[in-house]
Amino acid sequence: MISQTAIEHLIERLGKENVYHEKEDLLVYGYDATPGVHHLPEVAVFPTSTEGVQAAIEIARREGLPIVPRGTGTGLSGGSVPAEGGMVLCISRMDKILEIDEENLTATAQAGVVTLDLFNAVAAKGLFYPPDPGSQKTSTLAGNVAENAGGLRGLKYGVTRDYVMALTAILADGSIIRTGGKAVKDVAGYSFRDLLVGSEGTLAFITEVTVKLIPPPQDKRTLLAYFDDMSTAGNAVSKIIAAKIIPATLEIMDKMTINCVEDYAAIGLPRSMAALLLIEVDGHPAVVAEEAAAVEAILREVKAAEIHVAKDAAEAANLAAARRTALSALARVSPTTLLEDATVPRSRLAETFAEIERLTEKYRLKVGTFGHAGDGNLHPTVLCDERDHDEMGRAHAFFAELYDMVLSIGGTVSGEHGIGLAKKEYLRQQVGDGGIAVMKRIKAAFDPEGIFNPGKIFDDEGPCAKVNVEEGFRVSR
Amino acid sequence: MSPDKPLGNFLPKDAPSYESIIQCMRCGFCLPTCPTYALTGRERSSPRGRVALARAVAEQKLEFTPAIKEEAFFCLDCRACTTACPSGVHAGEVMETCRAQVQSIYPLEGMQKAFRSFILEKMLPSPGLLETAMIPARIYQKFGIQWLLRHSGALKLAPKWMEKAEGMIPELHKPLRLQLPEVIPARGARRGRVGYFLGCVMSLMYAEVARQTVKVLAHQGFDVVTPKDQKCCGAPHLTEGDRDTARSLMLHNLELFLAQDFDYIVTDCAGCGSALKEYEEMLEGRADHGKLAAFRAKIRDVSELLAEVGVRSDGLRPVNASVTYHEPCHLCHAQGISVQPRKVIRAIPGVDFREMKEASWCCGSAATFGLKFTEESQQILDRKLSNVADTGAEILVSGNPGCQLQLAWGVRKAGLDTKVMHIMELLGEATPD
Repeated sequence: MISQTAIEHLIERLGKENVYHEKEDLLVYGYDATPGVHHLPEVAVFPTSTEGVQAAIEIARREGLPIVPRGTGTGLSGGSVPAEGGMVLCISRMDKILEIDEENLTATAQAGVVTLDLFNAVAAKGLFYPPDPGSQKTSTLAGNVAENAGGLRGLKYGVTRDYVMALTAILADGSIIRTGGKAVKDVAGYSFRDLLVGSEGTLAFITEVTVKLIPPPQDKRTLLAYFDDMSTAGNAVSKIIAAKIIPATLEIMDKMTINCVEDYAAIGLPRSMAALLLIEVDGHPAVVAEEAAAVEAILREVKAAEIHVAKDAAEAANLAAARRTALSALARVSPTTLLEDATVPRSRLAETFAEIERLTEKYRLKVGTFGHAGDGNLHPTVLCDERDHDEMGRAHAFFAELYDMVLSIGGTVSGEHGIGLAKKEYLRQQVGDGGIAVMKRIKAAFDPEGIFNPGKIFDDEGPCAKVNVEEGFRVSR
Repeated sequence: MSPDKPLGNFLPKDAPSYESIIQCMRCGFCLPTCPTYALTGRERSSPRGRVALARAVAEQKLEFTPAIKEEAFFCLDCRACTTACPSGVHAGEVMETCRAQVQSIYPLEGMQKAFRSFILEKMLPSPGLLETAMIPARIYQKFGIQWLLRHSGALKLAPKWMEKAEGMIPELHKPLRLQLPEVIPARGARRGRVGYFLGCVMSLMYAEVARQTVKVLAHQGFDVVTPKDQKCCGAPHLTEGDRDTARSLMLHNLELFLAQDFDYIVTDCAGCGSALKEYEEMLEGRADHGKLAAFRAKIRDVSELLAEVGVRSDGLRPVNASVTYHEPCHLCHAQGISVQPRKVIRAIPGVDFREMKEASWCCGSAATFGLKFTEESQQILDRKLSNVADTGAEILVSGNPGCQLQLAWGVRKAGLDTKVMHIMELLGEATPD
């Protein structure tokens, strides 16, 4: 356990109100949104300045404590779970937007700023920060950068990585690293910035982020289509993309999800349909009109069962209601919701859905699938009960077999949630032992003592890896 | 919540159900909606954190420690998290059961215990006692003692909550319960017969507002029946963790209102309405299920009823004023009634309706929270008042006496010239006598 002296030092350097070490606090800094993982840290620390971060890292290093970075704990792969105990280092109280630079179209913020707060602040100046992960009302920029979070707009606008221009981070030795800048072009040396994006807190602790902003689209149009069978829906997606139209939103829901939404919200969805596509095109009004018409023509051509085109914003909101409600509807069905993010080349959507259906039957599970069809990013969601060990075992087997298939067609085991604790084995399958070995060498170059987020992305064999069990929780040393 | 099943380190009586706790998938969507988390930035003061603590108690990873007791009462029970929760967790209700546990695990002693049981078990269940108890307060106002105390600064010497409580009391009138005729007939084309559930606070502190409600309902075409024997709805008891007394009050009201043939049972108090709608769950297994379902089907908040049947606007006088609306937590979050009051306000001729930012954010009143945590309550209130001021509206409308006490006090203290009104007062102004 952490020494009393270290707690006193932390309190002295960061203030009493920013250091929690009582059991009731530790319990609630031991989880994120990933089902089934919960470990107790030894202390949770909330620096309010870069100096505070440096002090916390220094004390952790002296104590030999693993450092687990945390935003607001909305991650879906266990990235901020203190699997080996130690110090949970939270960025959430460094939450100031420092600058919105309208000449360079950038925003710079402390990394604890909530994603939607940044979106709103730049929108007030007529600018647009597109990344919109599902947890944007709660999640922090630091967490988004660490996990390279995606969102609904990924297809047209890209993901967090595409907007990160510069990062400030603290290395394990306490030194500050600044990487990237406001220059649009920058090829000077290795791009540390790109290494830190998606590094899941294993390389350095991010304290400040500069992001790229763009002008917002002036207009948008929403369409909704139902399909009698999944292959027609997959065909529609392929044809839309092949027609060189990149919708801002191209979302899909399967029959189970449609029915769960209808059970929950009773908004009059046709229960017999195999799939639903929600499509939104945006941009210049003339282009929007043209693209909406083209999408509608494609939907007719592939023989969608029903096509709805929103006439105004209110109708658009109605059409989007089903997709908006999808997660709520599924999550209510059972206590445990396993939400995965298998991602395939988008031309292979239909066969992936077929495989999900086959495996659902094989493993006798309840699975609703929705997701971002346009970028091939699916969320097969197993509705289960963590108390039922047999069912959990079948769910695990379901995903193992699904990922075999996903990898065999050139997909990835994680489109936007990251590897964390949950998917280490699948990652090894995807990148091979050689790939893992290189990742470990990169990690060692940044963090030779292995104090940053040990046990994430790949198993670690460092000194922090030894754990013991106390009161049902894994606690370090 | 399941009846009396043992669960981990909870006492068997009135424990939360394990299902209600493990339904939380810890997505964190509740965090930005929680006023206490906004104040502290501390996970244990968030809905997700509170449910996780309850889970730790259920799974015997934690005793029911004083910290849990603290969090159970620090929770505003505003239910904003219920609205935000994708998986249907009721963190506020889990905290209510934790409050019930507190009474058994950390029982009060001596005077404190006597005072608590006097208020909850004797005073609140007895309308007569309540009404008598208000007489000194009316005298206090009537004979200028209030003016004297307020202006002499003597109240500054009292504890903070006492000064606030004194400052919150509106101008009092005679309690309405015994004055209202038992039946007031509908005017114009008759649209139904309603039982009026006259909440304690409405009757005692806002008698004149309640009178407007009755007038409005009659004008809208309803026979209004106010059963004299009705008692407290039980909400204060749920809030304080006294579920036994709550249930006995609930059984009384259930029988009383079902004995008459009402189309609807109507209340103008969001807190009462929310409790009335929970009778079914609270009394499950203790009263006939058919009766409970029939009772539940009749309960309406007054704005919910008027929006449902349509506000009859012929004969309404214009109210030429700008109006903004504060959503009572127990209306929008606990009952899901959000568009209806706005519809009612917009139906009043002459009203210039202005939406405020964060209309559904708690005002910090939250039953006795405002008196127990005066400092935190003030911070939540300040956030609300700044949003009110931004609208520039002349009238601030709400639909719950608890909010109204807090808002009127806040507005006066902040020196704003906004008029705080119950939605029925506003509609009452438009309705001819």
